[in-house]
Amino acid sequence: MRSVLRRIFVASLLKRRLGSALSLLSIALGVALGLAVQIIHGAALAEFGQGVRRMSGVADLQVVGPREGFDEALYVRLAQRPEVAEASPVVEVDALVPGLSAPLRILGVDLFRVAAVEPQLLPVAEDKVGAGAGAESDRLAALRQDAVFLSAEAEASLFDDQGGVGTSAPRRLTVQSGLRLQELEVAGKLPGARARIGVMDIAAAQDSFDRAGLLTRIDLRLAAGVTPGQALAALTPLLPAGVVLRTVDEAATEAANLSRAYRVNLNMLAAIALLTGGFLVFSAQWLAVVRRRREFAVLRALGLERGQLVRGLLAEGATLGCAGGLLGVALGHGLAALAFRFAGADLGAGFFQGVVPALHFDPLSSTAYLLLGIAAGVGGTWAPAREAARVVPARALHAAGLPASAGGSGQGRTFAALAVLAAAVAASLLPAVGGIPVGGYASVVLILAAAILALPPLAMLASRLLAAGRWPVWRLVRARFVASPQQVVVAAAGVVASVALASAMAIMVNSFRLSVDDWLTQVLPADLYLRASSASASGYLDDAALQRIRALPGVAGVDAVRAINLRLDADSTPVTLLARPVAQGWGLPLVDGTRTPAHDARRPPAWISEAIADARALKPGDRLDLPIAGALHAFTVAGIWRDYARQHGAVVIERADYVALSGDGRINDISLRLADVGDGDRVASALRELFGSDRVEIARPGEIRAVTLQIFDRTFLITYLMEAVAVAIGLFGIATTFAAQAATRKGEFGMLRHLGFTRRDVGRLLALEGSLACLMGVLAGLLGGGGVSVVLVEVINRQSFHWSMDYAVPWRALGLFALGLVVLAGVVARLAGAHAMRRSAVLVVKEDW
Amino acid sequence: MLRIHSLIKTLPGKPPRTLFDRLSLQVERGECVAIVGESGAGKSTLLNCIAGLDVADGGSIVIGAQEVCGLDDDRLARLRRAHFGFVFQAFHVLPHLSVLHNVALPLWLLRVADDEADARAQAMLERVGLGGRGADAPQVLSGGELQRVAIARALVHKPSVVLADEPTGNLDPERAAGVLGLLLEQIREGGAAGILVTHSRTAAARADRVLELRRGLLVDVGSTT
Amino acid sequence: MRHSPSPRWMEQGSGGFVHAILHRLQAVLFLLFATLAALPPAAAADFATVRPDVALSFPRDLGAHPAFRTEWWYVTGWITDETGSDRGFQVTFFRVRTGIGERSASRFAPTQLVLAHAAIADPAAGRLQHGERAERALPPLAGAEEGRTRAWIRDWLLEWDGTRYRARASTDAFSFELDFVPGDAPLLNGRGGFSRKAPDPRHASHYYSRPQLNVDGTLTLDGRRHVVRGSAWLDHEWSSELMPERANGWDWIGINLHEGGSLMAFRMRDGDGQPMWTALTFVEKGHIRRGEGQDAVRFVPLRVWRSPRTGAAYPVEWRLELPPAEPGERTRQLRLVPLMDDQELDSSRSTGAIYWEGAVRLLETTDDAGAGEADGVSREIGRGYLEMTGYANRPRM
Repeated sequence: MRSVLRRIFVASLLKRRLGSALSLLSIALGVALGLAVQIIHGAALAEFGQGVRRMSGVADLQVVGPREGFDEALYVRLAQRPEVAEASPVVEVDALVPGLSAPLRILGVDLFRVAAVEPQLLPVAEDKVGAGAGAESDRLAALRQDAVFLSAEAEASLFDDQGGVGTSAPRRLTVQSGLRLQELEVAGKLPGARARIGVMDIAAAQDSFDRAGLLTRIDLRLAAGVTPGQALAALTPLLPAGVVLRTVDEAATEAANLSRAYRVNLNMLAAIALLTGGFLVFSAQWLAVVRRRREFAVLRALGLERGQLVRGLLAEGATLGCAGGLLGVALGHGLAALAFRFAGADLGAGFFQGVVPALHFDPLSSTAYLLLGIAAGVGGTWAPAREAARVVPARALHAAGLPASAGGSGQGRTFAALAVLAAAVAASLLPAVGGIPVGGYASVVLILAAAILALPPLAMLASRLLAAGRWPVWRLVRARFVASPQQVVVAAAGVVASVALASAMAIMVNSFRLSVDDWLTQVLPADLYLRASSASASGYLDDAALQRIRALPGVAGVDAVRAINLRLDADSTPVTLLARPVAQGWGLPLVDGTRTPAHDARRPPAWISEAIADARALKPGDRLDLPIAGALHAFTVAGIWRDYARQHGAVVIERADYVALSGDGRINDISLRLADVGDGDRVASALRELFGSDRVEIARPGEIRAVTLQIFDRTFLITYLMEAVAVAIGLFGIATTFAAQAATRKGEFGMLRHLGFTRRDVGRLLALEGSLACLMGVLAGLLGGGGVSVVLVEVINRQSFHWSMDYAVPWRALGLFALGLVVLAGVVARLAGAHAMRRSAVLVVKEDW
Repeated sequence: MLRIHSLIKTLPGKPPRTLFDRLSLQVERGECVAIVGESGAGKSTLLNCIAGLDVADGGSIVIGAQEVCGLDDDRLARLRRAHFGFVFQAFHVLPHLSVLHNVALPLWLLRVADDEADARAQAMLERVGLGGRGADAPQVLSGGELQRVAIARALVHKPSVVLADEPTGNLDPERAAGVLGLLLEQIREGGAAGILVTHSRTAAARADRVLELRRGLLVDVGSTT
Repeated sequence: MRHSPSPRWMEQGSGGFVHAILHRLQAVLFLLFATLAALPPAAAADFATVRPDVALSFPRDLGAHPAFRTEWWYVTGWITDETGSDRGFQVTFFRVRTGIGERSASRFAPTQLVLAHAAIADPAAGRLQHGERAERALPPLAGAEEGRTRAWIRDWLLEWDGTRYRARASTDAFSFELDFVPGDAPLLNGRGGFSRKAPDPRHASHYYSRPQLNVDGTLTLDGRRHVVRGSAWLDHEWSSELMPERANGWDWIGINLHEGGSLMAFRMRDGDGQPMWTALTFVEKGHIRRGEGQDAVRFVPLRVWRSPRTGAAYPVEWRLELPPAEPGERTRQLRLVPLMDDQELDSSRSTGAIYWEGAVRLLETTDDAGAGEADGVSREIGRGYLEMTGYANRPRM
């Protein structure tokens, strides 16, 4: 059996090199994409988690609160508790560095405490030994109020000249706090840190960034014999509202949760690529089986058992899958390396900024994906192998060159397709499990299955609709198409899956993009925007600045926004709080509720984004408690709005309410209405003059929109790439089918040439057949894709990201895509069948097989 | 009808092998010539050269009044459409066309109206004794029946020349005799010039003339008329 | 006169991970602390200066003087446990004004640091055991109070409650909680507590001692708790510019005499090992003798012990020569003998200071005319502590 396996079955793969190569390649691509996504995110997550752990050092518990900080008195209280062996206070600031787009994370630490809890943050002063007497004063560097210590990553990102140590003058770093610039001296390094961070003395950080009296984190090491559970129970009552105590692992998990939905989405795309690869194996194996009927008949006649035949064919599939899988594993690691190099760990989605992951061989994922590749190979061979085993040898030997037309009952397929579709609808109605829309994904798979099942009935239907033209080539194409829709299924199964995927993504992305565009119009009604920094970074404006802007000539009105971040409860990720005028301020894209609720001084209004409404099952009129300035305050949900900017949710409250509750008069953004819209440039330059051009960002809504859409497009870049791969694999299916058929149909083409077909006629025949098969695949794929897109928009996105969007089909783009694909398929089919049209092929009329 | 004059073809190689050495042949309407010869003597190549599917190195082939040599591929194809009928050893009946449409195929190429094409094909099927099988798929036909379909297809458009390459090679002797008889009968009735390439002396003996392709030339080895 | 502490914050047993990072930690701390006294003179302008015309006043001056750069409360002594074993102990709290962050609004501003150092000299162990702590002053976690003696870093403490001092310190190796009851009022050194350290009067400190403290408390060593009694000595000294540029180190003793007196003596050495300045406060039989100058007391090395770890050679036995107080008196000759030779404290990996600080006995040779001291019969007349710096490297404060 083994030698039969090797000589008959596996060797057959080598004989049909093109088909085997394409099958192998498609499996490899599917495996590679899936594995790359896995590796990249795995590495990024591990790095992020490790980063969180490394940042937390040997801490047992962490106290975290709003990013703006909480009262430092908590530290003093916790440090004296018997449960606490060591407490280390930290002030984290995302410091704006003028001229640099990414802020630098600076950690203000107590050097005397950090060693016991976060030794990785210990600074090492620049070695000045031998630099002369002047060096004496640098000895207190670690405490100096203008000293900052940088990790290697931070230094590399801030200074492109890596000058020799000790030779250059001390490096200076300008940071911005509020509208103030401050110069820091790079006093040394952080040999233990492996992230893009800087460390300062805690007092210096509080002073430099106006965080007096505030901490953002306290790392705790528990006294011997105290368990984290005991400590949590004892210490939690001491915490002010909005401040939570958690284990370090929980902090790492938070990062994983952040990107989970995105990751699952990408993995699904990779899985569809792999599935498409499986269909391609199916096509190739099916054709091979048809072609080798007599070979198998002879083998059966010689005593090969039915089971052996099936096993032999499955071994072929497994061999393909294994080879493809191995190639894919290698390719996947290569892709991941490339992605790390060029796109970053989050593939451009912005989840893991500042994380520098390293590529590691991942044996577990690699094995899993290799097995998936083998499964795709075996799965693709399953049906053809069973078909081959069913054939009665005597008939196959006898009926030379006339394989039975393999068309199943159209009606049966229609029913099957409808049943699967019904199951898909049912699955889409299921709720998410742990934030993952499992039902939605199941629904997608079922819709794909239904689309493929619908292919033969669709082909039958189409054949009836095809006009009976008189052109002989067309008549032959049509006759063949009508007679054996199975051939179409074989050629176009891969197309269905990939077109469904691509069109669904296209519809989803189009809907999303249009909705985002629309949303941007609503949230950016002003003429000019001024910003000192984003919510978390160190720049801000104040009321004095607001007054100065209001006084500028040409300014008709100003609105201020304060953006902070807070935790609604201990086990949820932080959400954004936006304090700004609502009733008479800029637009809020409401999907429910009102902008002008009845006045209630005791419970001021809050407008929540869809993410929060979904996560907490809130509706207008409900009560929402917000931890502001260390205490819980009751608000009434006045409305729900659409927010694409903050996945974990945002709450908008009136700025007046916020200032009254917190006393925090800082401002992140100011929107300006101009008396004359054409005055934008003049006002912008006046603003720059007022604040200094390097301290504020001034943007017009058009620019913000352009940048936002650019980020949007970048986020979906990876999905476009994966779609392209899937479509390419689908076209491979056409190519393999026609390449394989070209061999079996040499006789037919030869005969046609004898009957007076020109060589071009044969080419047209092939192209038309390819296009027609592809057209069927595209039609089924578009139908399936339409269904999948509805699931993506209404179920998967809604449940993963809590984003609603307006469904919009890009008809033109889809039409062009379909047309292009059909034409391309014709070209591919013709090229694949090229050697059947060669002159010598005429002689094959003499051949039997 | 078919005149071959001084046909020369040399196969490249070391040394080059002369396939046809000023070979000449003339076949008249309604006449059927059998060509026999050893394997590799060039019988099929001769047929291909006649059909314009292979190119000779010299000489001329004239069908009716049309010189075949020197025509381009498209004109050759048109010539084949109008003037040639082929019968192959392996039948080459298209599986996805019905029996009737397989026969009508050459008429499609000649842009004969569908009704007329179907009528002529049906008539042709009746002449080969398959009048009731027109709607059948080729898969259900036996080998002899398939070859009769092929014969009907070769003659349905009233070709000037019918070329048959081992038409009975895949059939048992009993069926072979019947099919061959039918083929010769149809060639003669249709007034075509027929060339039958075969290994079988028995089959050859039923032609009007028997020529043997030997050392590049056709040698008359007997005629039945 | 004390060297700066070696804040090796992390005692043994904190786990392998902590040990792995210790190297780096110590490198940082070296840079941080090694230079507390080495700021350029220009910076000293901001610090309060030690002036001879300032009279000390108690209890106010028992407390901290945050305007000065450096200040310490330093307790040393001999304790005897219930089995009669003698051990030396030392606990010191330093207050350092860094001159950094003085305008800071932050509660964490590192203007004042508090450092503490505790050690046990146990002959059974053969060498010193010690531990350190350091914090920025941040009441109630760490600080040094003004107006009364109270310096603390979390649970380490030195405090005066009006009648007694209490000291508490714990490391992984040992812990102690000791009460010290003084018999007398503070003993001022130098001129009314103005203690010069060099010919240039800029180099001086405010300095008083509290000798003859009765010790009563517990010592836990190697997991065994001992009830201990003994006699201790407290120094409280504050200054801004203590050590002259040319100085290379110093030798200091503080000895409680068995008959109720006390002896404090020091000498500042220059680069050649020659005395630059010496001082003496000698209380015997109710009589106080103070001396300052180039030759107020002579330190004569008798026996040198070489450290097997650092290679530094320490004169662990000394002859002290007290010049005649009045013309006609004989030079008084005393001898210092260590409790054990190896009382070297190597903190070269943290503060950089390597020095010898240990329990010593004070012997006096019986006065036999004409006989050399070596032949005379020695009698122990007191016990106390000897500190020798600058033998391995120049100390920084």
